[in-house]
Amino acid sequence: MIDIKQTFQRFRRTPAFVGFTLFMAVLILNIIVQGPGQFFSTRSINTLFSKNMPLLLTTMAMAPLLISGVLDISIGIQLALVNVVSIMSYQEWGVSLYVGFLLGILASLAVSALCWVLVSVLRLPGMLASFSLIYIVQGINVLIMDKPQGSIPREFYKTYDSLIGGIVPFSALFLIVVLGIWLYLMRTKFGRNIYAVGGNPRNAFAAGINPAWVQFQAFMIKGTITGLAGICLTLMTASGNPLQGEAYGLRALSACIIGGLGFGGWGSMGCAIFGAGFLVMIQNTVYYFFNLLYRLIPGFQVTSYWQNLVSDIIIFFGLLMTIVTAREQREALKQGFVEQFTGGARDAA
Amino acid sequence: MQREKNAHMTLSQRMQVFVRESPARMAVIISVLLFAITVAINPSSLNMSALSSIWLLTLLLSFAAAGQTLVLIGGGLDFTVGAVMSAAAILTTYVMDSQDGRFLLVFGLALAMGAIIGFLNGFCSVKIDLPPMIVTMAIGNVVTRMSYVLTQGSPSGYPSDKFVNSVIGKIGGFLPSLTLYALVLWPLVFFLLNRSRFGKQLYLMGNNPTAAELTGVKVDRIRILMYVFSAMLAAFAGMLGAAYMKLARCQVFDDYAFSSLVAVIVGGTAFTGGIGTYTGSIAGALLMTVLSNGLTVLALSQPVRNIVQGVVMVLLLIMYNRARAVRQ
Amino acid sequence: MFAMRGIDKRYDAVIACQDAALQVEPGEIRALLGSNGSGKSTMVKILAGTVKPNDGQILIDDEPVTINSGRDSRQLGIATAYQDLSLIPTMTVLDNILLGNEPQGKWGMVDRQKSLDDVTALLDKFHLDCDPDAYVQTLMPSVQSMIEVAKAVFLHPRLLLLDEVTAALHSDEVELVFNVLREVKAQGTAVIYVTHRMSEIFEICDTATIMRSGRTVAHARIDELSLDDIVFHLTGQRPDTETLHEVETFEHDGRDLILDVEHLQLYPKVRDVSFKAYKGEIVGIGGLEGQGQPEFIRTLLGVTQPDGGTIRYMDAPADFRSPADAVRQGIGFISGERNREAMFPDRSVGENIFAGDAAKGALFTFLTARTVRDFAQDAVDKYDIVVGSVDHPASSLSGGNQQKLVVARWIAMAPNLLLLDDPTKGVDIHSRREIHKILRQCAEDGMTVILSSSESEELLDIADRIYLFYEGRVSGMLSGASKTPERLVAAMMGMTRENNGAAREAQSA
Repeated sequence: MIDIKQTFQRFRRTPAFVGFTLFMAVLILNIIVQGPGQFFSTRSINTLFSKNMPLLLTTMAMAPLLISGVLDISIGIQLALVNVVSIMSYQEWGVSLYVGFLLGILASLAVSALCWVLVSVLRLPGMLASFSLIYIVQGINVLIMDKPQGSIPREFYKTYDSLIGGIVPFSALFLIVVLGIWLYLMRTKFGRNIYAVGGNPRNAFAAGINPAWVQFQAFMIKGTITGLAGICLTLMTASGNPLQGEAYGLRALSACIIGGLGFGGWGSMGCAIFGAGFLVMIQNTVYYFFNLLYRLIPGFQVTSYWQNLVSDIIIFFGLLMTIVTAREQREALKQGFVEQFTGGARDAA
Repeated sequence: MQREKNAHMTLSQRMQVFVRESPARMAVIISVLLFAITVAINPSSLNMSALSSIWLLTLLLSFAAAGQTLVLIGGGLDFTVGAVMSAAAILTTYVMDSQDGRFLLVFGLALAMGAIIGFLNGFCSVKIDLPPMIVTMAIGNVVTRMSYVLTQGSPSGYPSDKFVNSVIGKIGGFLPSLTLYALVLWPLVFFLLNRSRFGKQLYLMGNNPTAAELTGVKVDRIRILMYVFSAMLAAFAGMLGAAYMKLARCQVFDDYAFSSLVAVIVGGTAFTGGIGTYTGSIAGALLMTVLSNGLTVLALSQPVRNIVQGVVMVLLLIMYNRARAVRQ
Repeated sequence: MFAMRGIDKRYDAVIACQDAALQVEPGEIRALLGSNGSGKSTMVKILAGTVKPNDGQILIDDEPVTINSGRDSRQLGIATAYQDLSLIPTMTVLDNILLGNEPQGKWGMVDRQKSLDDVTALLDKFHLDCDPDAYVQTLMPSVQSMIEVAKAVFLHPRLLLLDEVTAALHSDEVELVFNVLREVKAQGTAVIYVTHRMSEIFEICDTATIMRSGRTVAHARIDELSLDDIVFHLTGQRPDTETLHEVETFEHDGRDLILDVEHLQLYPKVRDVSFKAYKGEIVGIGGLEGQGQPEFIRTLLGVTQPDGGTIRYMDAPADFRSPADAVRQGIGFISGERNREAMFPDRSVGENIFAGDAAKGALFTFLTARTVRDFAQDAVDKYDIVVGSVDHPASSLSGGNQQKLVVARWIAMAPNLLLLDDPTKGVDIHSRREIHKILRQCAEDGMTVILSSSESEELLDIADRIYLFYEGRVSGMLSGASKTPERLVAAMMGMTRENNGAAREAQSA
């Protein structure tokens, strides 16, 4: 017998609750603004997934880092790294694009390992160190591919944009695979270890866990997921561009924070997914809202400048919102105390 | 007591003490060395025009780094420096529109803009429990996007000839007249940091925020103020930058966010706060400019220069990280 | 059989343990007792692996062992439960209990069912009704303490160390823990039980080791000791409980009432404190460590807002939202935790001394370098602070001189009320005497001084009146004729009328 109220109460106290609520709210808003008929069309759903999978995966890649107490803001530039390595090895060395993708993932893992050394081993401040990596990796990107170029075989990007069985977007497979791997990992010891290391490294060490090693594993997972995100990006744009991706870093980090992830020990993959979903949905809503305005107000231009501005304002307000949601969590905590104090029968000997 | 200690130290230890005692001194020495190497590689790079250009860029970077110095000493980080500079540059060219006599108007507007953005920075960094880098980065992005929207990607106008001349004109044929601005700004920063209670409270707060609060410092107020000053100084730097570039583009000075950080840290200000001098930042600005000049002389491509900049920061972080461990 | 012999541990100038010894057999519950600065916590930390002794031996079954980390300690069969919890608040109860020891299932995954079964069985043993999937931070402190103990018991250790774990527990909950202890004792586990509650000792412990000033001064069976014996070993005084009364009235002969606190509450450390301070007095606050004294002082300063009760300062309600408010109204604060709360290590001595003025005065008026230097030099001369120069970093000063610096900083601000939280902890005796002299002079000049100290001699020496704290309440107020070491010790140990009965009852059981 499932006690709905108790389940809901328990869900309310999980970190993903905040992100979930925000996501649902914006999802509904989007459906309203876009029109349910439009929204639920297979084409619209497909575009939603295929265009936003890189951001979603990047946000998911960030989650293990934040949980284990580290971060890497150069993650966006690493998408471009995967992109240029794949394209260039395919183009210059004539290997199959699959091999190119594999090399891309390896490149992402290498940079992740480097970031691990800086942040976890040398204990440099995470933001400054990984921001320096942005400059370094960006330089490497341009050295590999000096200007935007390249293309990939038609089958590849056509498949990416296609639907399986006419309903399921191909790009959603990436999400399913990553989620599946993550759910498995969460059920292993590693799943407990990252929370311990992020929550209280000293107590984790006393329990026999090696924080540096656990963070290395977290970085490797992040590198793999980033690699997949870079592959999605390549399939999506069907070309190479060494200068893209910088914005993904802050967006992914903000999405995680808005979704409820904390800087060490608090949060879940659900937070990342809902946070990214929130960002995507609200961008969509604004786009369709502007479209509406465009139709109502003659002469109103929706340039990409406006869209970018609104995106970044939303990110800013999302971060601002953490003040409120932090207070929410504190209140929920206090509520819990009061309940236990007044209600809750407890057996005494 | 100190001298007795010195007598027993090896040469390398003595050098370490020398470096740690005055990072500003060290930065100047390295700058001179770097420049000497540059000249050795390419003797033609030693000319009056190059020297005055280096000096001009150093001054400009030192203005951008002024606010960053305040914020870092106070234990924060201002990543909107670049965005504010660019926005101020755009504002300058637009309002001035090649007309003389608008300097004060532009000055007032730029400072007001800086004050507003700085207040937003400060308020959010106090209220939001996130690292200042993330908060200011997000705000900086919004400022940048706003400037794109308002100018539709192509800013208009030009700074007035007189204004341009007051920046890049040469006194006595060699000294950029931007130096005159420095004669006002540098003492102002010096006053803020060293001769006012604000500066004292800033150092205290940066060195030990808990103790500062318990001693009666209103840490929230000081934090907001330091971000306000930082953005105002950055706005002023952006104004002058517009005169230097003679026109403005969106995101023209974005790199200054990172390079001001590097200059300040090179100059000896700890990224954890509580330690540092503006003199150090000026020396750091000199070093970064000479380094950049050297890289140009070596005809290194942009990507390599990017990598060098990133590596320099990482090396600085490593160096200062271990120094702190030793101190403890 | 676990034994520690000849343990020495010093922290710079402070001797934590000197030739200390301890021994416990399987199936024995040994109480480890000590007052402030006795070294008992250090002994526990050494066994737990968080502190390494300078000298001495640890033997398990007569084999010497080294314990370099918490991990080593665990592997040797030692489990520790701390008062300030080694749980990870952002993880669930289940995860915390099993951390590092998760049962393995198929395909590398953790066996969730077995985990749940094991933990549920454990929680049942402790009669804990909490949800294993609840986040620890959502649980009440008493439940968290129980889980902390449960976690240690779950490891089936050979030696169980319990460090003041009952501080947050009700008597029913304490009884539950005791039942479990009796069970593990029957299974052959050795237990070292650290507490300050006399009633508990007589109820559950078989033997006791008592420490004082870093040395072990007594090993005995509990049935051979009386309550007074124990207190005597702990403090060197026989407690005077005969003519004790809760709070004595005090003749203040017309002095102004500077501070008037009524029934102050701050969850969870301060339960109910009423307190008065008159102008020109030195009021002492004493008691065992962790009975709510530092929290009380910080509430007065405005660092935290009380959950209940009132504070009146200078005959007006005090509503300090931050220390800055209190400072502006003429309150000063000198902390014993110099490094964390008072010193600015990288700033110069001069800047450190000037810090009080820097915090209080006008923000943007011009300050010459001379003003600061003269101010500092005055203080250095007046209080005899030993410095190389006022421009040297403050970290170059010795502990005692650093403390004098902090005192100088505040006296220069001429506050009406000076709060001190264990200011002479770890300070050499010479500096300590000088600080006392300064405080006496200030009191004579009309300043009100509230001094919380972990050393009873200091309070008896310098305070006009002394409040003793026990478990968040005032267990006694001594003044005039009642200000004797024996009465102080009795109140410190919670042996006032209400607690007195419980302790003596347990002893006769």
